[in-house]
Amino acid sequence: MRNIYLIFRRDYLGYVKAWGFWLSLAAVPALMLVGSLFALFAAQSSPIRYYTVIEPGKVFAEAIDAEFARSEAAAMAQEIAGQMQLPEGAAQNGAMQSLRERKFIEVPPPAEDIDGLRPYLLGERLVFGPQGDKPLFAALILSADGKTLEYWSDDVSINSLRYEAQDAVRRLARKHALEAAGLDPDFIQNADDAAVDVPARRIRTVAEQASAGAEVTLADKAPVYVAGALAYFLWLMVFSIIQYLLMGTIEERSNKIFDTLLTSVRMPELLAGKLLAVFAVTSTMMLVWGLFTLSGSAFLASQVPGAGDMIAPFLSTAASPQILLPALVSFVLGYIMYGMIFMALGSLCDTIQEAQTLLSPMMILLMLPMFAIFIAFQDPGSPVVDVATWVPVFTPFLLILRMPHDPPMWEVALQMGLMVVTTLAVLWVSVRVYRAGAVNGASIGDLGKMLKGMGWKKAG
Amino acid sequence: MAQSPLVLTNVTKRFGGFTAVRGLSLDVPEGRIIGFLGPNGAGKSTSLRVSLGVIPPDEGEVRLFGAAPNILSLRRVGFLPEERGLYKKMTARDTIAYFGRLKGLGAAAAKARANELMDSTGLGEFRNTRVSKLSKGMAQKVQILSTLAHKPDFLILDEPFSGLDPVNQQVLEDLIREEHARGATILFSTHVMEHAERLCDRIVMMARGRKVFDGTLPEAFATLDKGASLEVEPGFDLAAALAPKGFEAHRAADRGHGDAWRIALPKGAGPQDALRAAIEAGAPITGFAPDEARLRDVFVSLVGEAEAAALDDPPAEREEGVPAE
Repeated sequence: MRNIYLIFRRDYLGYVKAWGFWLSLAAVPALMLVGSLFALFAAQSSPIRYYTVIEPGKVFAEAIDAEFARSEAAAMAQEIAGQMQLPEGAAQNGAMQSLRERKFIEVPPPAEDIDGLRPYLLGERLVFGPQGDKPLFAALILSADGKTLEYWSDDVSINSLRYEAQDAVRRLARKHALEAAGLDPDFIQNADDAAVDVPARRIRTVAEQASAGAEVTLADKAPVYVAGALAYFLWLMVFSIIQYLLMGTIEERSNKIFDTLLTSVRMPELLAGKLLAVFAVTSTMMLVWGLFTLSGSAFLASQVPGAGDMIAPFLSTAASPQILLPALVSFVLGYIMYGMIFMALGSLCDTIQEAQTLLSPMMILLMLPMFAIFIAFQDPGSPVVDVATWVPVFTPFLLILRMPHDPPMWEVALQMGLMVVTTLAVLWVSVRVYRAGAVNGASIGDLGKMLKGMGWKKAG
Repeated sequence: MAQSPLVLTNVTKRFGGFTAVRGLSLDVPEGRIIGFLGPNGAGKSTSLRVSLGVIPPDEGEVRLFGAAPNILSLRRVGFLPEERGLYKKMTARDTIAYFGRLKGLGAAAAKARANELMDSTGLGEFRNTRVSKLSKGMAQKVQILSTLAHKPDFLILDEPFSGLDPVNQQVLEDLIREEHARGATILFSTHVMEHAERLCDRIVMMARGRKVFDGTLPEAFATLDKGASLEVEPGFDLAAALAPKGFEAHRAADRGHGDAWRIALPKGAGPQDALRAAIEAGAPITGFAPDEARLRDVFVSLVGEAEAAALDDPPAEREEGVPAE
């Protein structure tokens, strides 16, 4: 244990003293901060744009205005009050509402046709509106036969106004059609209001339902999100260790230090110390990032009503044995399995250039679990996921993802056993490849020969 | 009877179809300085790596302090590999202390020992310098000191003089003598025979994976035919003059001011006997020099000039799967 500790300590301190570590450590919080600020800035700094509608009367203009109002109300009510479980009235919070401030304002048409509007739309002339003088962003012009509402703009990449206009026109057409059929507008409104809602209900035992009710809450969805986050976290950790294990091993091979080390420590001690050091490095990073996220969450909880209630189910889910135990097993075995593969391959490389030729296949190997995670998150019951969970390179990730959906215990036990066996097999092969590379100077070109059977022994 | 730190019995090591070491048997007695000599590719480094358990032998047995190499017996060994390597970002003192700790020293003791070694070898002012900032020679000294940090009972040094300038070679020779005086057994490989002549009380010569000699320096020199060189005035036939007295002389060169003759000494005769016989024969002697035997001559006599020529090559880089010697 002492030798493992000494190897671990030297490697860990070596990594954390490097400037690259601090750069990586600062990069994620900085990116999160910059990203959040950028999103906030983008939302708040999005300019108010003027548009005009040319039509006889105000029918379409009013319909578009009503559509905007309807969209805003739906977004506020459903996305915030509904999904985020915020207390009643929180959706009307001023800070939130400011994000939903209407970005398109209708102004009276400064001209009667497109030729007259052209200089306003091209920004050569300004129109006056509630926000002062501005160029005209878009004009909606009803054709003479009343069958087309043309949308004119200099910037056709921004479509939100056009989509609102399309919805408004559709809704208007439906209303006109029903009225033409002799139906009273109030009757139509009542019919719309009487539409049956389809609320989600969580089936529970009678006893559970008596205490928890049947409503779907965030606590019901938290296991899926937590499992997804843990699977992604494991993937991120494995992804992060590539450079450390690969580059670290190459450095030691090029430093020609293995003979000295191997007359002081046993090979398993050397490998264990190295794996632990890289695990500790990535854990340190994750811990710092986690603390940053928690601090951000705590700040959010203190600033936004109901945010604390939102975070609690996630924390309690993450601590539940049903998720935690398989996650721990998957983490440890997945880390050892992938870590040993990278370390063994690194031991066969003399230069960074050689290692770069290995990085592409490694990236592909690592992208496969990412795809599997994505599929499993979308549809955990998919037969593809069922099969993929039995593939050892996917098992650590998918086992975590399937846990919220109560897979049969025998499957979980068997898959954990499979992971153990696979990890041991990977260890067995990797230690030999590592020995051949680190001690006997075998190169990546010898890999095929080594894996063929006992050829590696002769080569080493 | 003291236990031999290292005993090899019929050790053979192959790499694919190449046999690096063939049936090597070796007993390294306690308290000796043993030179392991031979040109590149002779099997020296492979033998040392096998001795330490870094690579296993294909045949034969290795006993290090009476047992197969293991972490406990290895703690009594200080090993300087032929392929030098250090952690470039560590400071010189931390490096020495780190390897001392891996050999069992406590943190404080390792640090103190590192300071002591660096001060005694003139590296004291570089203790907090990163290895990457040291000169090649200084870095090599740091590695050698790392080998000595835990005061090993048995030092195995693979080409320790390689890459050192003459001043540092002398420092290393002194260090080896100090370690020997402390009681350490020392086995070092070299392809430079002069170091072995100055330091060793026993030598082992290797060629093409085989041991070709194992004995003391006098025993090594005893394998050579002895002789002397005589210079006489031009025109004098020294061969005819010495033949009746039992000495065989061959003209070696015409030096202009006289002829140089090479005299082979019969068994039991010394160079002085040849000189006396020449004087008695009335030879007009202008110069005389008894042969000075060198280890290189011993090696040439054992394996031939072609094999010995490789002694002058510097150590080679290790090939894939085949350790250099």
